[in-house]
Amino acid sequence: MGDLSELATLASKHMETWLFYLVALITVPFAFGVLLDRNIIRAGFLLIGVFGGISALFLLLQAQFLAMAQLMIYAVGITLVVVIALMLTNPRMEEDKSPSIPAQKAPAALVGTLLFIALYMAILSEGWGNNSEALSPDNITIIGYSLLTHYALPFEFASILLLIALVGAVMLAKHDHFNSKADIDEIEEETKEISERNEHVVKV
Amino acid sequence: MWSKSSSVVVAYVAVISFLVCAYMCGYLTPLFAGMNIHSDYNLCCTALILVLGALAYLMGAGLPAVMITGSLGAFIALSWGQEPLIRYLTLSALLFTIGVYGMTTSRNAVRVLMSIELMLNAVNINLVAFSRYVDPGFVRGQIFAIFILTVAAAEAAVGLAIVLAIYRNAQTVDMEKFNLLKW
Repeated sequence: MGDLSELATLASKHMETWLFYLVALITVPFAFGVLLDRNIIRAGFLLIGVFGGISALFLLLQAQFLAMAQLMIYAVGITLVVVIALMLTNPRMEEDKSPSIPAQKAPAALVGTLLFIALYMAILSEGWGNNSEALSPDNITIIGYSLLTHYALPFEFASILLLIALVGAVMLAKHDHFNSKADIDEIEEETKEISERNEHVVKV
Repeated sequence: MWSKSSSVVVAYVAVISFLVCAYMCGYLTPLFAGMNIHSDYNLCCTALILVLGALAYLMGAGLPAVMITGSLGAFIALSWGQEPLIRYLTLSALLFTIGVYGMTTSRNAVRVLMSIELMLNAVNINLVAFSRYVDPGFVRGQIFAIFILTVAAAEAAVGLAIVLAIYRNAQTVDMEKFNLLKW
């Protein structure tokens, strides 16, 4: 009996490792696809894969609430908004000839590599007080309780921030009349047409 | 059909997978016998992968294939056999770095916003991993991650509205053509 349960815990430990590497092997290529895909609409949809993979990582870390929130907010909500913005700003669905600016590729790759190595060294050099006790199964209850007691003030601030962001986004995206260059051009054309018509009438 | 660049890519992928497999089975240890700290093997293997990647790129392999293979190989070499917390932190550092690369090189403004979302998500992985392995009693990391989620949603809404306003005025979202504030 003891041997069996030991074996089961060992298997689950290795299972977690393999699942982690599986998810990582799926997520990282998706993330590169988001950056390097020539078709930007497809890049927007690849974002769903990245966020789904990250939500799977949250499930592996036993953060069920966050995994579901991640799926709902990121993989559905933000991706939808991003894809709609892509369609609004690129109405003819053109493919980029080069998705990245050529002059910045090499410096960015160098900086990225150095940053990654530096972050990794920093991670390794730190002794994280590793706590091997298992996460309590009712961690959603703990989250809800502390959000409404200890973190009540930040919670309220978050709601105010969301409200302000909502109003601000509507204000920014609203179509202001007589403000943009295209509108002014349109108006000038219209006035020109009207004046030409008037001249025509006068001639007649 | 079977062009030179794709054969270079295949060779690079094969060499990297061979290297990673050899590393995972411990065959590479005698190569770095001069050093006696475990993490240095990781760094040597990563440096080897990076040099091979640069070689493959110079020989004509496509950039995406080289970057994906190189980063995955380096990630496995760096995180294999480490504690779970360090594995998660390394993956998060990799995703953050990918976000930084995309943010600095992307031509399309919306793609820059997508890269920023990627970076925010990498930070979230960090916090949730900490709440699992360092602080399992009070899951404070998850609460921080919830706040980051909120701020990210607000940031996405405002950022995309700004991009729409810019597009309406400049008729483009090309990052290289936004030079209104340059002098």
